[in-house]
Amino acid sequence: MAALDSGSTAGTASNLFNIGSERLALLGKHHKALMQGYLDGFIDETAFSEGALKKLIAARILWRPDEQQPLALRPLVSELIASMVADENRRQINADVAEKLEQIRNRVQAYRDAQYKGDYSVAELQLQRLTEHVHDLSGQFEEAIDSLWHRLNSDFGFVASLDDKIRENERAQKQLRRLLDGLDLLDFSELIELSEGNNHLRKLLVSQLQNQLSSHHSSLLEVQKRLVELLAKFRQQQARSLLISNMAAFLRQHPKYQPADYPNRSELPALFNQAAAIIPQASIALDKASERQTLAELVRALPRSKPVNLLDNQSASFSSVWVDEEIAARQQALKTDVENFYLRVIDQGGKLSALSYLEQQALEWDSEIWLYQIIAEYQALPQDEKQMFAILRDEAPASAMNQLLLIRDISLQLQVQAA
Amino acid sequence: MLQHGPILERLLAGNFICQISDEDAFRHLSNEQTQQDINHYLRPLNRRLVSNDDNSVFFLGYHELNKDAREQLSSQFSLTVQSLMPLLEWLQLVQETLGRDSALTAGDTIKLQEFVLRTEDNQSLRQRLNQLASDRFFNSQSEQLDNQVKLIFRRLKEHGYLLQPHHDRQYYVVTGKIDYLIDVIRFIRDEEQLPVEDTPNQEALL
Repeated sequence: MAALDSGSTAGTASNLFNIGSERLALLGKHHKALMQGYLDGFIDETAFSEGALKKLIAARILWRPDEQQPLALRPLVSELIASMVADENRRQINADVAEKLEQIRNRVQAYRDAQYKGDYSVAELQLQRLTEHVHDLSGQFEEAIDSLWHRLNSDFGFVASLDDKIRENERAQKQLRRLLDGLDLLDFSELIELSEGNNHLRKLLVSQLQNQLSSHHSSLLEVQKRLVELLAKFRQQQARSLLISNMAAFLRQHPKYQPADYPNRSELPALFNQAAAIIPQASIALDKASERQTLAELVRALPRSKPVNLLDNQSASFSSVWVDEEIAARQQALKTDVENFYLRVIDQGGKLSALSYLEQQALEWDSEIWLYQIIAEYQALPQDEKQMFAILRDEAPASAMNQLLLIRDISLQLQVQAA
Repeated sequence: MLQHGPILERLLAGNFICQISDEDAFRHLSNEQTQQDINHYLRPLNRRLVSNDDNSVFFLGYHELNKDAREQLSSQFSLTVQSLMPLLEWLQLVQETLGRDSALTAGDTIKLQEFVLRTEDNQSLRQRLNQLASDRFFNSQSEQLDNQVKLIFRRLKEHGYLLQPHHDRQYYVVTGKIDYLIDVIRFIRDEEQLPVEDTPNQEALL
C-alpha cells in the first residue's frame, strides 16, 4: 500500500515537474513581450502567434478579465514581476497571517497522525510541507519589510508629487499596522503546545520561527518610526510650500502691506534681533619685543618689486663699450619722439597726456619706457626751462595693503609765467 | 575663547551660521557651554547669540536694546520686509522652474545652468524672471537672461541664502538662512493673523 502510495505521489510529482517547467519556460520564451505587457497593463496580441497565446492562457499566465478587455497578465504573474524588480507602484503586501496559521495547524495535525500510524514517509512529506509553510510565513513578512524599506529609502520617489508621497506614506503605514496585527495573531504558547514532545516541531515552530518573527517585529517597529518621521517631514515641506505660495499671493494683493513695528516693541521677538556687523581690524604692533622676529620675517616675506634698472649714462666711457649701433639708434629714436611730444605740448598750450599722445601717434614704445623717457627728459632740462612745464603724475597705490605709488600716466602742461 | 575666534569673527561680521554654511561651527554653537562662553565674551560688545525657533541657524543680536540698537533694528527690519516679496517670488520660481515637488530647504542644490536652460524656452518663466531681476532687491540692469540669473544668485549669496561651494563652478547650496526667512514669514503671519494658510484645506483633500 505504502509503495503504491509513494509511487503515485512520485507520478504526480513528475507530472507536476513536467508541466511546471514547461510553463516556466513559456515565461522565458516570451519574456520581452510579457514584460512590455506588464508595463502597458495589457498584452499586444499581435506580438504572439495564436498557438503561443493559447498556451500562455492555458498556463494561466495571461487572461482576459472581461470579454471587452484586451488580454493581460494574471495578477499573480504581475505580482511576481513587481516583487522581482521591486516596483513599489505594483508590489503587493500580503498581511494575511490567519490563513497561514490555519495551514500550519493542519499540517502539524497531519504530521502527528502519520507518525501515530507509523507511516514515516508520509510523515516526512508532511514535515517537509510544514517547513515550507513556516518559511512562507516568515518570507511573507520579509518581503513586506523589504518593500517598506525600499519605499522608505527612496523617499517614495516612485510617485511624483508631494501629495502622492503623503498618500503613499499613509498607505504604507496602514499596511504596516496590518502586519503588526498579523504578528499579534501568532500565539507562541499555542505553538509550544503544538510542538510538544517533538524535537523537530519544537525547533521549527518555536526556536526558529520565534527568532525570525521577533526580528521581523523589531524591523517593523523601526520602519514604522521612520515612516512617521518621513510623513512629518513631508507635511512640513507641504506646509512650507503652501506658506510660501499663499504669503506671496497675499503680498501681491496687498503691495503696500506693512507689518507692525516689531523692533520697537518692549518685548523684542528674538527673530528680529539682528545686530549690525562689526568687522574686527588689526594692524602691526611694534610694542612687543618678542614678536619683532616674527614681524621681521613677515616683512622679509613680502613680495618685493624688482629694482628698476634705469638707463643711465653715468659713465660715457663705460656705456659706449656696451652700446651697439642698433640700440643707440633706437635710443635716439625714442629721444626724438619724446622731444616731439614736448614740442607738441608747447604748440598746443594745454594739458597733454603722455599715454594718449603715444596712442594717438601710434608709436611702438612700451608705455613704461615712454613714461621713463619723458621723466628723464624733464629732469635733464635746465632749471629755468623746467619751470616752464608743469608735470602732473597720475598715480595710485599698488594695492590696498601696499602704499607704494605707481605712476599710471603723466600729463605735461606749458606754464605761462607771470614774470 | 581662542578656539572660537573664527566663529566669533564670522558672527560679528553679521553672518548666519547653520549646518550647511559651517558644519563644525554649527556643532560648536549647539553646545550650551560654548553658547555661554560666547555670550560672556560678547557682553562688552553689546551682542549676544540668537537662534531661530528650532535652533537651525545662529546669528548675533543685541544684548541691551538701547536707542542705537533700536534704530539699527528698525532699518534692518524694513530691509527684511522689503526683501520678502522678491525672496518669495524667487523661491516659487525655482520650485516651478526645476519642477520640484516641494519648496527649497537647507541643503538643496541648484545648478545655475539647469535653471537657465529651463527658463530660456519658457516665455512665462522668462518674463517672471525678468521682472524679478529688475526688483530693487536684485537690481539688475541687464536684459540678458544669463546675466540676470547670475546676478540674482550672486545677490542671494551675498545675503547668505546661498552658498557656492566652488568659486568657479556654477552650483549653489541653499543655507539654513532660508529657515530663518520662513520663520520670519510664519511669525508675521501668526502675529498679524494674516489669512495665509499653510495646511491643505479640507476641500482640497476631498
